[in-house]
Amino acid sequence: MITDKPRVLIVDDEKGLRLGTKRLLENEDYIVETAENGTEGIIKGTEKEFDLAIIDLKMPDIEGLEVLKEIKKHRPHTICFIATAFASYDTAIEATRLGAYSYIPKPFSPEELLFQLEKGYKQRILLLETENLKREREEQLVELSHEKSRLSAIINTINNGVLVINKTGELVYFNNSAVRLFNLHDVEMGDLILEKLPNEVSELFKTLINESGEKSYSIQLEIKPNRELIVEAFFERITGEDGDLRGVVIAIRNISEFKKIELVRNQFVSMVAHELKTPISAVLGYLRIILDETVNITEEKEEEYQARSIIRLEGLLTLVNDLLDISRMELGTKQREIVELDLKEVINNTLVFLEFDLKKKGIDVNKDFDNGDLLINADNDEITRLFTNLLSNAIKYNKENGLLNIIIDKSKNYIKTQIIDSGIGLKPEEKDKLFQQFFRAKNSKTRGISGTGLGLSIVKQIVETYDGKIEVESEFGKGTTFNIYLPINK
Amino acid sequence: MNISEKYNKVLLVDDDLDLLEQNKVLLESRGFTVITAESGKQGWETFKKELPDAAILDLIMEEHDSGFILSHRIKTHEHGKNIPVFILTSATYETGFKFSVSTPEEKEWIKCDDLLNKPIVTDEILTKLENFSK
Repeated sequence: MITDKPRVLIVDDEKGLRLGTKRLLENEDYIVETAENGTEGIIKGTEKEFDLAIIDLKMPDIEGLEVLKEIKKHRPHTICFIATAFASYDTAIEATRLGAYSYIPKPFSPEELLFQLEKGYKQRILLLETENLKREREEQLVELSHEKSRLSAIINTINNGVLVINKTGELVYFNNSAVRLFNLHDVEMGDLILEKLPNEVSELFKTLINESGEKSYSIQLEIKPNRELIVEAFFERITGEDGDLRGVVIAIRNISEFKKIELVRNQFVSMVAHELKTPISAVLGYLRIILDETVNITEEKEEEYQARSIIRLEGLLTLVNDLLDISRMELGTKQREIVELDLKEVINNTLVFLEFDLKKKGIDVNKDFDNGDLLINADNDEITRLFTNLLSNAIKYNKENGLLNIIIDKSKNYIKTQIIDSGIGLKPEEKDKLFQQFFRAKNSKTRGISGTGLGLSIVKQIVETYDGKIEVESEFGKGTTFNIYLPINK
Repeated sequence: MNISEKYNKVLLVDDDLDLLEQNKVLLESRGFTVITAESGKQGWETFKKELPDAAILDLIMEEHDSGFILSHRIKTHEHGKNIPVFILTSATYETGFKFSVSTPEEKEWIKCDDLLNKPIVTDEILTKLENFSK
């Protein structure tokens, strides 16, 4: 450390000279320590840092040059002087080679000594400052390289693509994601990149560098067909401190998933619109005919049309209620009151509710319920809804005077309910689509059976809400079996 | 000759029984004789049996393209190739998927004479029949 007072070590076996020099230097505001031989000199000179050291060349125990060597080895920034009466060219060279700053011939005058020490001390300060600067610079470089590699590591690992292109169209920077998202091959820094980029991107780049202003742009591109890869690219100008355009940075984001969700949502909306429109059109058509004076219909017909209108409107209402249920379930805003439910009870109650439909079609119900407790924890309305939908389907799609078997038993951690009908059954391709919203099997046998196409998608959603499982087995023309697994309440 | 006399026997095919009934009543009120069928398959059987003077077919029935298939069958049939066949649809409005039968290329694919938008407007049918008879 540089202190205000220079610290000097005098290594000399000649007591008079040692003490005399000490006194002289202390008067000049030096802090002085002394060593009376080479051994002591090495110990003192290496255990702490002196600014300056004056080492006698000839000492009885260890040669001055040896002391110099040791001190320089451990304290390379200590400025060392060799003092001797036996000055020779060779020793001077040897001393310098070993790191001595200078050579003080004995006997020396106080002025001569002070002049030399002052010079040495300045050198020492310079040395330390240089050293400091060097260290700071090294630290900065290390920091900078860390920062740079950190930054490039970050940019390289982010999912968004980054491309930097200078105004002549050369690639200045890019990351892995950019290569992937733009489906680029063999790109390197410095490439003329524009022709390798999608057309729309190059065009937009040209627009951006040819116009002034701060407007930024973004475009959406289908990189791989069939919505496999859709990206959104954001273009931003890079300007220098003078405000001149230096290049353009393009940030690329994969929006395929977002687009898929958007598509599904649009399809859903359009399906809902279609399903709502159909009954409305039917009712509207009947009303128009009734009110149309140019169309003559009998009173009987008019009543039939009114009755049909009511049926279609009731269907519409059911549809709207189903839609509301689905939306509540999907939004998670459905209020549930979880209680212990006896599945036997739920199913018996549902059958009572459906008794009219059962009798009308002459369906024979067989129940085979396990004797033990068949309890689950769930919301009563939801579970009732689940079984109402399944059982009413088993009636609607059954034959006249058909069979309906309901079996409930325990299966490991679940209660398994089987609903087996002897109805029209499903074709394999219909089976796959069964739980899709608005799917309804359309064939000559389903003609005249009303439904919203939402019943089974609601069923599936309820089952999944309770971490259950639903399976369907079916043979076209023979019947369908639904297996519903709901977690048992232990 | 009045258009409803020239094309008196009209085959209506639609799987929505309410719309089928309504269109039947409306056409009958204009003097047409209407025979109906409730699916593409049934429509083809009825066509062969009745050999109508005109046919109006719903597009989406048991399949999404039932109307196209039935119109193709009718228009390649000995009797059917000379009669007007219209396809009833709201697909363009609902899906944004546009098709028409105004060019010969399109008529290669869709062998019908014209498209009718839902809901059916009786006057529109009359106009299209007039156009066909020219």
